[in-house]
This record gives sequence, C-alpha cells and structure tokens, in this order.
Amino acid sequence: MQLNQEKQLQYDVTVVGGGPAGMAAAIAASDEGARVCLLEREEKIGGILKQCIHDGFGVLRFSEQLTGPEYAWRYAQELGRRPVDVLTRTFLTSIEKNGSSRDGYLLKIVNSQGLSRLETRTLVMAMGCRERTDRQVFIHGERPAGIFTAGQAQDLINLKGYLPGKRCVILGSGDIGLIMAQRLTLEGASVEGLYEIGSEPSGLNRNVSQCLEDYGIPLHLNSTVLEVQGRKRVEAVTVARMERGIPVQDTVRTVPCDSLILSVGLIPENEMLQSLAPQMDERTRGPRVNQYMETSCPGVFSCGNALHVNDLVDYVSQSGETAGRAAALYASNRSGGDRGGEAELTAAGNLSYVLPQKLRLPAEGAVPLFFRVNKSAPRGKLTVTHEGTVILEKTFRWLKAAEMERLDLDLSVFSGSNGGSVAVRMSEEGS
Amino acid sequence: MKQTPDLEKKLRNVRRSLHREGLSTVQAVLHEFSVRLSGEVGSWDEKVRAGYAAAGKGFRGVLNDIRVPGVEEPAMSVPLLRDKALEGAAYDVVIVGGGVIGCGIARELSRRDLKIGVLEKEDDAALQASGRNDGMIHPGFAAAPGTLKAAYNSRGNRMYDDWARELDFEIKRTGSILLYRSLWMHLLTPYFKRRCRLNKVDGPCRGLSARQVRELEPYVTEKQKGGFLMPSTAYVSPYRVTLALAENAADNGCDFHFQTALLGVELSSEGSSITHLKTNRGTLSCRVLINAAGVWSDKVAEMAGDRFFSIHGRKGTDAILDKRCEPFQTRASGMPSLLKRNRHSKGGGVVPCVEGNILLGPTAQEVADREDYSTDAHIFGTLVKQLDLNRELHQGQIISYYSGVRAASWEEDFILGPSVKVANLLHAAAIQSPGFASAPAICRDMARWCEDILSEQNVPIRDREGFNPVRRGIPRVREMSEADRDALIRKDPAYGDIVCRCEEISRGEIRDALCSSVPAQSVDGIKRRVRAGAGRCHGGFCLPRIIAIMAREMDIPLTGVTKKGPGSQILMESTKKEAPLCS
Ligand SMILES: Cc1cc2nc3c(=O)[nH]c(=O)nc-3n(C[C@H](O)[C@H](O)[C@H](O)COP(=O)(O)OP(=O)(O)OC[C@H]3O[C@@H](n4cnc5c(N)ncnc54)[C@H](O)[C@@H]3O)c2cc1C
Ligand SMILES: Cc1cc2nc3c(=O)[nH]c(=O)nc-3n(C[C@H](O)[C@H](O)[C@H](O)COP(=O)(O)OP(=O)(O)OC[C@H]3O[C@@H](n4cnc5c(N)ncnc54)[C@H](O)[C@@H]3O)c2cc1C
Repeated sequence: MQLNQEKQLQYDVTVVGGGPAGMAAAIAASDEGARVCLLEREEKIGGILKQCIHDGFGVLRFSEQLTGPEYAWRYAQELGRRPVDVLTRTFLTSIEKNGSSRDGYLLKIVNSQGLSRLETRTLVMAMGCRERTDRQVFIHGERPAGIFTAGQAQDLINLKGYLPGKRCVILGSGDIGLIMAQRLTLEGASVEGLYEIGSEPSGLNRNVSQCLEDYGIPLHLNSTVLEVQGRKRVEAVTVARMERGIPVQDTVRTVPCDSLILSVGLIPENEMLQSLAPQMDERTRGPRVNQYMETSCPGVFSCGNALHVNDLVDYVSQSGETAGRAAALYASNRSGGDRGGEAELTAAGNLSYVLPQKLRLPAEGAVPLFFRVNKSAPRGKLTVTHEGTVILEKTFRWLKAAEMERLDLDLSVFSGSNGGSVAVRMSEEGS
Repeated sequence: MKQTPDLEKKLRNVRRSLHREGLSTVQAVLHEFSVRLSGEVGSWDEKVRAGYAAAGKGFRGVLNDIRVPGVEEPAMSVPLLRDKALEGAAYDVVIVGGGVIGCGIARELSRRDLKIGVLEKEDDAALQASGRNDGMIHPGFAAAPGTLKAAYNSRGNRMYDDWARELDFEIKRTGSILLYRSLWMHLLTPYFKRRCRLNKVDGPCRGLSARQVRELEPYVTEKQKGGFLMPSTAYVSPYRVTLALAENAADNGCDFHFQTALLGVELSSEGSSITHLKTNRGTLSCRVLINAAGVWSDKVAEMAGDRFFSIHGRKGTDAILDKRCEPFQTRASGMPSLLKRNRHSKGGGVVPCVEGNILLGPTAQEVADREDYSTDAHIFGTLVKQLDLNRELHQGQIISYYSGVRAASWEEDFILGPSVKVANLLHAAAIQSPGFASAPAICRDMARWCEDILSEQNVPIRDREGFNPVRRGIPRVREMSEADRDALIRKDPAYGDIVCRCEEISRGEIRDALCSSVPAQSVDGIKRRVRAGAGRCHGGFCLPRIIAIMAREMDIPLTGVTKKGPGSQILMESTKKEAPLCS
C-alpha cells in the first residue's frame, strides 16, 4: 500500500507482526468490522513459517499435514480478501500512549517512504520470538565463523539455498534443532551428533525418531558443548557429560566439525511492548494476559510466540483470533471491559506456567488453559481451585516438559463471582 | 659495550630480587642498556614474576627471554595474502599498526604534505587491543605520578571533546566513582585528591558520602559506604573512534594497507637507519618508520634493530549487558585496586557504554599467546561477581562477552619517542591501559617527533593543502529527530529499510559501511561500524540478509562473504548442485 503522507493514519486495530498470529488477529478483527492495519517488517508476510518447509503444520486446524509456507499461504489468502491495510517492509519503532486512557496509542513506523505516525485505538502485538544465542548459554572458547542458530541455518538452507556447514554439531534438542539435523543430512552435510544438557529431548518424540533415529544421528543426553575451537572458522567443539552443572572430567572430548548449530530456546520478543510497562510473566517472558489476550495496558493485546513459546502453530493462530476479535470489540466499546473484575491464576506444583494468567469475570463459555510442566511425569493430576474450592480436576498421562498441554475451563463454574484467586496445581499421583 | 660500575650495581639488584622470588635459575645479563633474562622456569607465572623482579631497577628495558618448557609462545599470525602490490612503493612515513595509536598518528601527520602509509596485518582497523577494550576515557588518576601514563592520560582525556567534534563520534562524559566498601576508606579521600592534583586530573574531584553515591547512582548496592567522584571520566566506542581516525586520515591522503604485515626491516650498512621494509605484499621504502604495533611492538623493535624491551600479553575479559540496563548505571564504578597484588590491572567494575549497554570487567590474566581472544568459564565466573556492585543487574542480561590482550612492558609504562639507536625509528610501544584515554596526546607528540626527524633529513614540512579535520560518520538514523529521519529517508529510501531489528539499523547504513573511505570487509566489520548484529539477538535474524547485501554491494558470491576476513567464510556451498557451465 502506498502511504499518503499528508494524512495521519488512523485505525481501530493495529496488528504488529505478520506471522500466523498476526494474520489470524487481523482477519478476526476485520471480521468484527474494525478498520485494521497490519505492520510487517519483512518483505512478505508469513513470519517464521516462510522458512519451515517441512510438513506437520495445521493438523488441528485443517486436519491436514501442511508445510509452513502452505499454512501461511492459506491465511495470507484469507487476509487478502479483507479490507486490511497490510504494510510490509515497515518497522514499528516506538509506541506511545495517545492522550487519556481510552484514546489509544500513537505509533511511529518507518519504511522506505519515510517515518510516519499512526494512531490506533488498540494494538495486537504479534512479533514472535527470537532464538537464544551461544552467548546466552555461555559457550566459551574462540569466536570463529560457523556458529549459527537453528533458525539462521534454516533460513540459509531453505530460503537462500546455501549450506552453512558440512560437518555439524547440534546443541539443543528443541524441535527446530531436530528438524535441522534432518535437513542438513538431506542436503549432504554430516551431523556428528546432537548434544542436550537435559535428561530427555526437549522436542517432540515424533521428531526425535524421524529426524535423528532414521538417519543414525547420535543423541547425547546430559551433555553439552563447553568450548568452540578455531580462530577463523569452527574447527572443533569440546563436549562433555554434565553432572549437576559441572563437566565430568573423563568425559571431556573434542569433536572435529566445521559448524555448531544451536537450538537452545526461544525468547518472546517484547522489547517494544515493554516501553508501555505492562505486567510481565517471568516464566513465559511474555505479558500477563486475560482470556481475551489483553495485557495490563488497556487496549493492548498479545498473541502467538510473543505471548509464550508455542509448539503448534494451530494454537498460535487461535490466540491471534482471540486477540484480534477482542481488540475489535474493545475499539468499538463492545468489550464490556469496564464491568466486573479479574481473577488471578497461579501455577503451582509441577507446573512451570499457566496461561492466561488472569480471567475477566463474570464471563461465559469456556477458556482454554495452556500450561507446561517443569518435569516430565508418567501421570499427574491437575486441580483448579477458586478461593479454596476445587472447581476442576483432571488426570494427565505422559506429561512431557517439552510439550504444552491444554485444558478447557468452563467459566460457569465461577457462578457470578467476579474475582478472587485461582490456583492451578499439578500434583504427582501414584498409579 | 663497556659495563659501567653503575650498571653492574643495577644488575646485582636484579639478581637479588630474582633470588628473593626464589627464581635463582634465571640468569640476568646486560644487553646494551637493558637487562636480559634467560634460563628456564617451571611455569608462566614464574616467568612473569621474574619479569617484574627485573623491572624498576633503572634499566632502559627488560628483555624477558626465559623459556617455560611446555608453554608455547605462538608467533604473530600472518595474513594469508601474498602479492606484490607494495613492491617498490616509497613513503615518507610508514606506520606499523592500525590501532588507535597508529590511526591517530596517521591522522595527525596527514595535516602535513607527506606521503603516509599504514600497514595493518588484520583485514580492518581496531582488530586487536583497540577494538577489544572498555572504551573508558580514564581521568588520569590510576597511574603513579611521574610516569608517562600519568602525564599522557589527563592530557589525552582533555583532548577527547575536540576529537569527538571533529571526527563525529559519540562521547559521554559522565564521570566515574571509586566505591568505598568500608567507612575507613573515607580517610583516603585527601590522598586521592593529592594524586589527582599531581596527575593534573580535571576536577572538581571529591569524596562522596554513602547517600551522595546513591543519589548519583541509585542502583549501586547498599554495601557501599561512600566513594570518590572524578567528573572528567568519559566513555566512547573504541572501534568507532579508531575507525573515525582512520577514515579521516584516509580522506586526507593516507594509504591504509590491510592484510599487510611488516615481516622484516633492512637497515643501512652501519645499522643506524632503516632503508626498506619487507611485507607479505612486497618490499617498500620509507624515511621514517613508526612502531605502533601493540602486542607485537617488541618484535617490530627487534626487526628494526632496536631490541630493548619485551612485551607480555595480559588478557582482559568483559561481559556486555543488554541495552535495557542503560538506566541502571551512568558512571563507571569499581573498587580502587589498592592491594599490591592487583596493581597491574585497572580495578574493573561496571562500565557504561556510549551505545547504552553496560560492561562488566575487565579481568586481568597473564597469557603466553598474545592473540588469544578466547574466553573461559573460570574467568567468566570471576567477572560476573561484579554484578554484585549493582542491584538491578543480573546474569540473564548478559548478551555477549569478549577478550582483549593488553601490551604490557615489564616496566608497566608506555614507551614513547625516537629510538636511541636507529635514527629514523619511533616507538609508540607498550600502550596498555590507559592507552586509549591517552591516545590524542600520544599521537600529537609522536607526529611532532616524526616531523623533527624528517626535518633533520631535510624533508620540508608543509601543511597539506585542503586538509580537512572534519569527518562525517555514517548517519545514526535511529537517533535522528523525527523530521530529519523522515527527510533523509525521502531522499534515500534505503535508510527506511530496517535490516537489524534489535539495533534498528537500515540497509542504507550497512551500504554506507561498505563504501566508506575505510570500508568494512566482513560481517564483523559492519557490526563495528553500524552495530548491525550487535544487539540482543546477535544477528539471529539479520545475518542472512546482511550476507545478501554484502554480496550485492561488494559484487562477490554469497560464499565469498566472511565473518572476520579470509578463512572465516560463512556459507560453505550452494545446495543447488547443477553441473557447472562450461567456460
Ligand atoms: C526458527 C524457528 C523455527 C520454527 N520451526 C517450527 C516448526 O518447524 N514447526 C512448528 O510447529 N513451529 C515452529 N516454530 C514455532 C513457530 O514460530 C510458531 O509456530 C509460529 O510461527 C509463531 O508465530 P508468530 O506469528 O507468533 O511469530 P512469527 O512467525 O515469528 O511472526 C512474527 C512476525 O513479526 C514481525 N515483526 C517483529 N518485529 C516487528 C516490528 N518491530 N515491526 C514490524 N514487524 C515485526 C516479524 O518479521 C515476523 O514476521 C519455529 C519457530 C522459530 C523461531
Ligand atoms: C580488556 C581491555 C580493556 C581496556 N580498557 C581500556 C580503557 O577502558 N581505557 C583505556 O584507555 N585503555 C584501555 N585498554 C587499553 C587500550 O585498549 C590500548 O591501550 C590501546 O587500544 C592500544 O592501542 P594500540 O594502537 O597501541 O594497539 P592495537 O590496537 O593493538 O594496535 C596494534 C596493531 O598493530 C598491528 N600489528 C602488530 N604487528 C604488526 C606487524 N608486524 N605488521 C602489521 N601490523 C601489525 C596489530 O594487528 C594491531 O592491529 C584496555 C585494554 C584491554 C585489553
């Protein structure tokens, strides 16, 4: 779209980020009748899916196994049919509160036509996540070329058509790392091994068997890369088995290789949002939201991987829809947000977090609760209590720290209450 | 040379000190006016102790040739490039070393109508100490009064504002605080003030109560009982300063030859002057040679027939914290290093950067390998203890870490000025901390000495016509006012295309870095010039795009793009395995 510089841009809903979360949010907001703008920094919308050319996307949503680009394409098509202003190669550089509390936000955006201001009643933040780097897992030694994050390697191979290494060591067994082990092998590189500091792989079982076992790539659990060798280009890495955070002496080994690929975690991208000082959740590293994906800043919503790291894109799209619809309702004063109160959810026992962190009450229908456990366990009992009263109990089997779980909570159980504290506890249960 | 009784006495002094250190296996002999140590010891630490035992005994320098079995002292790394590009070239002045000192001298000399060449063995300026330090413009307090360090530091500090204005780099003059951990340290305030006066530190320097410390730095930990404020301390980006000097020198006619190592020097038959310089790119001639070779300055002196000191590498590691920490610390603060054990390092502490990040460090560790820029978990562990100095800082905010190696002489002072032995040789050697802070003063004096030598050779010293002291840097688009930024983008849309999202760097800035007067040659070169890829994701998102931009602008294949010069190729090969076209 060509920007008309003379006119200040004004929208009901502005979605930041054009990945699956942002696209779903823009579609949902537009369907509620809002004037919607979507900002995307890159040349094309689709987000990280553009480089995920393997299949396995959309099983829940479309009951089909799609590749990342196919999944993104379906949403891009839907988006194209709606009157949404999509600004690509456009970067959001700052957000300010615009006037008093319900007047919305003033955004500054930059693209090749200049720096413009954009006024919006609401914001949906869908900027995805970034990858942790070798420095964030404190790898030492030299700093040669040849150290890549899995996402970089994926981009270089799948989008640019170049091999970043021919003899690779992979650190971290997240899904992206597992998928890259397979991808590199198929492109003719040899993968010397995959090292994981945890006692179990952090990616899906399906990926462990399809991406490693099928190709005979060794998986070293409880092990890590300590140092990198080589001054210009990676020549080897030093690996070791770890016990309570300390390398076990006689297991320290040197593995010759020309590249190290890291899949050591994702961090939700919220720097821009934090300029508004929303309440954050230390565990998810995203903002604290209610069931409408609304943050503690009025009219600001969050979804997708910016909210918390998801395993399945289907849930990402779902959170985008929720956020987009809620933003549209808010912009047209139909959200009823000024009535009622909020209940606080806390995660306890073997739970790392639960999302949403708040519930606006009274409300109807069911809310999907998403959570992750700290430790894998064969069985676990989830108990939800409201002000001391048990309102829901469910037993889960084969809980894995790597996998996000979901449970629907019917809000009628709160019968008229409009606040209080809700404890969500996962306890171990004898079989 | 005849040994005077005086030198004999000094030598005995050295032997006595060695004996006291339990290093009786070390031999000390006279080498011209220096003392030369040889023999074998059991560890690197012993070699270091021997070097210090011989220092301060009144010799011109200490040559430490002690061997440590099992410890290798790797030679200088040499560029892979071999050609004849410099064969037969003739310069008035050749400067060896493209650090802040070499580039600063080149810039200072470029005011004159002289033919100047800078030889730098790496593929860019500021790749050794000058790109791997804290960027702190020390006030001039730390060095002992009477040393060259003390004299040059406060003078250099004062000259930085002019440099910043002319050369267009950011400087933040917010001062620094020495923290007092216990109440008795307030007794030191008068002593500190006296030291400031002697070293001509710009003031007013003053003692602070615990409350005053907290008013200035609200997040320093409660443990502090007061401090000493020195307002003239400033902060710069060291590689940006060095590159700005190089660019301005190049704009004024200096030739920069990267990937060019000085490998040998030919002297006149009687050995009293330099005639030719041998490099990996041919043999050239010069009227004056300036040794600004950092950790290798002793080797350059040796090549040039003036061996009188040796350098030992002292590694320092720093950690870089996320920009979000900017509000938590405005001034460097650290503990005064009063203990003798630590006297060879600047205390270390929490140091703000001009870019908004915060540094922890530097540490100090003697190393045999002078180009060892690795980091290790053990040193890192001592480094992160500095986090205790500020209650808002924690390990999770660390986005990166790096090491640099200081060029220390055993006398622990700068070696500056004309060689006493070779007529057309000048040294700016052993420039360790506070070398960066002292650089403007060092470079000015070095240039004057060089002009003196040229005058003696009857070379006329005329001003360069059209000399322009002003250099305009690449626009820092994200820091511009809204209106200026908008106007710039309308003129050149490339400044509106954001490539690096953490630091908000546009394609226009990256392109500028690739075509400046000392252009970036590698991905790291771009990072140092415009910060693309220096943010919290460390190039996670933008690396593939930067590679593509570089390949296009430099007109090279994607596989030709390197991280840090030849040998550090990033992409191995295309996955499209079509048969190559017949040629
Ligand atoms: C490297 C990587 C590989 C993955 N591989 C898989 C996989 O194989 N299978 C799977 O199920 N899941 C995978 N995931 C998880 C996947 O990210 C999610 O399923 C989903 O794509 C997240 O969608 P999103 O819209 O939240 O974020 P993204 O898809 O990351 O989209 C965020 C968008 O926001 C834009 N943006 C960011 N900042 C700004 C700004 N300031 N202004 C304008 N635009 C901005 C970005 O350019 C991007 O397009 C992967 C994730 C990563 C990081
Ligand atoms: C961790 C650390 C922190 C520091 N912090 C500070 C600080 O906060 N403030 C401060 O004032 N100082 C500080 N210093 C000291 C400061 O970095 C140095 O004093 C300064 O950079 C020295 O500059 P230089 O030009 O002499 O050396 P260098 O920058 O090392 O330049 C010498 C150059 O010569 C080249 N060279 C060597 N031999 C040859 C050859 N034969 N042929 C061709 N080229 C050759 C090298 O490649 C190198 O680039 C710090 C140092 C370290 C290591």
